[in-house]
Amino acid sequence: MKKRRSFASWLVLIGGFFTATISILIFLCYPKQLLSVHASGHFWELMFQKSWQSMAFMLLPMGIVLAVSLITQLEFKNNTWKQLHTTPVSLTSIYFSKLAVIIVMMLQLFILFNIGIFLSAVIPALLNSKIPFPNYPVDFNYYLVENGKYFIVCLPMIAIQYLLSLQFKNFLIPIGVGLALVVGGLIGLSWEHIYTVPSAYTALHFLQAKNNVTPAHNLILWSLGYFAFFTLLGYWLYISKAEKG
Amino acid sequence: MFCVETNKLSHSFQGHASVLNDINLQVPKGSIYGFLGPNGAGKTTTLRLLLGLIKKQQGEILIFNKSLQNNRASILQDIGSMIESPSLYGHLTAVENLRLLQKLYRCPKERIQEVLQTVGLPNTGSKKASQFSLGMKQRLSIAVALLHKPSLLILDEPTNGLDPNGIIEIRDLLKKLNAEQGISIIISSHLLSEIEKLVTHVGIISKGKMMFQGTLKDLVSKQYQSSRLILETSDMEKSKAIIRSLQLNGTIEANKLLLPVPSKEIIADLNRQLVNNGIDVYEMSAVKKDLETIFMELINH
Repeated sequence: MKKRRSFASWLVLIGGFFTATISILIFLCYPKQLLSVHASGHFWELMFQKSWQSMAFMLLPMGIVLAVSLITQLEFKNNTWKQLHTTPVSLTSIYFSKLAVIIVMMLQLFILFNIGIFLSAVIPALLNSKIPFPNYPVDFNYYLVENGKYFIVCLPMIAIQYLLSLQFKNFLIPIGVGLALVVGGLIGLSWEHIYTVPSAYTALHFLQAKNNVTPAHNLILWSLGYFAFFTLLGYWLYISKAEKG
Repeated sequence: MFCVETNKLSHSFQGHASVLNDINLQVPKGSIYGFLGPNGAGKTTTLRLLLGLIKKQQGEILIFNKSLQNNRASILQDIGSMIESPSLYGHLTAVENLRLLQKLYRCPKERIQEVLQTVGLPNTGSKKASQFSLGMKQRLSIAVALLHKPSLLILDEPTNGLDPNGIIEIRDLLKKLNAEQGISIIISSHLLSEIEKLVTHVGIISKGKMMFQGTLKDLVSKQYQSSRLILETSDMEKSKAIIRSLQLNGTIEANKLLLPVPSKEIIADLNRQLVNNGIDVYEMSAVKKDLETIFMELINH
């Protein structure tokens, strides 16, 4: 309910369809790009990979930094943390329910993003008769598994951003640190130990999936480990705060 | 029976001197307790400690005879509060703000319109809370505090920023809630004039220490006790002897006799005796310290 009419909700909507909108414009201006995908024989898999390119490197990590900070900022901006902390709801429930809201928001983003992939294939065909309609069977299992993997690898960033945004009232600090982590992760992509940097995971996974590489380090396990660690650390810091609200 | 009790409550913020020293608050059940003190005295810190917004360092806090530390949820279920500025979601309407809390407190939906009616905000419609005037925001905050029918209200300067009409309306509302529903109310303020029109009990805090705690009557009697009769006569020593014979204690200061104000009959008798003894009475007046002076003396002690 609190997200209603908030910028966080708009961010999910815009973020979900941003890549699709750009793709539609590109395919309408440069139909050869879409025609080459049609000719590949793996239409929907290729559309998925094309769409995830910009999402994995920049849009998703930055979107997480902004969206998570906006959710916690709702309480700071409205000065409502003190109201929340004087309700008969346990601090544990408050912490984990807000995290659950953020995770559900991310799921919504993923759903909208995938709808966007579909629309970016269909709309150019409807508007340009030279582009064939994508009547190909969809490998739903592929979409489910790959979306699932991307979702898991973005969980550590969610936990880190949540921890930061709960600790600092000034939203510039978590956003600044979050963006620094994202940029740092991108710069260090070729580093041999980059698997230890959670902000690089979405980009790393994209590269591994695109190049069909068997990774030396299991990003899924690292992601789940980091997520658990930062979630519990964030919880402990939240509970131990001497002054609430 | 006290609804709120603290025992040697002390607190200091990191790197700073102590802000609360051995506060022993006692708020009787069913009272309207005015928590008075100048800015920076420790009122808000005390109220935040009562609500668990600040981690207790020293002392004990009992609310409804239960330790706050061990019974947080059950205690907070029965408290409504407004600390400092209103806590409202600006992008939501009045009803939406209340609906959020209605779900948290699990109280009936009908309470939303009831409390809006009580505070005089029944028809705000689709207006967002950010568009409300300060008075409307204060009222909505009180509605939020009342939503779950608490037996204790803790209000930190609820009339801040309100115009005189608004102050009177909030005061009447609180009196009504206390009288009709038996809600105990702790209200903090730095304005004695506001508090003395509303409360039954008073606690005065200054520089982190309780300077006075008792009924409003006790504070008023302090006012009476500290009043003085000033006497100026043609023979101060003879006058002092006559005063002593009437079993009164007087002191001479700045060529005037000061004594505690006696009853009307004794004043008349004193005057008669002075005149009958050939003493000219130049001045006989009572100086009553007003509550504000008592308050200032207490906080500057």
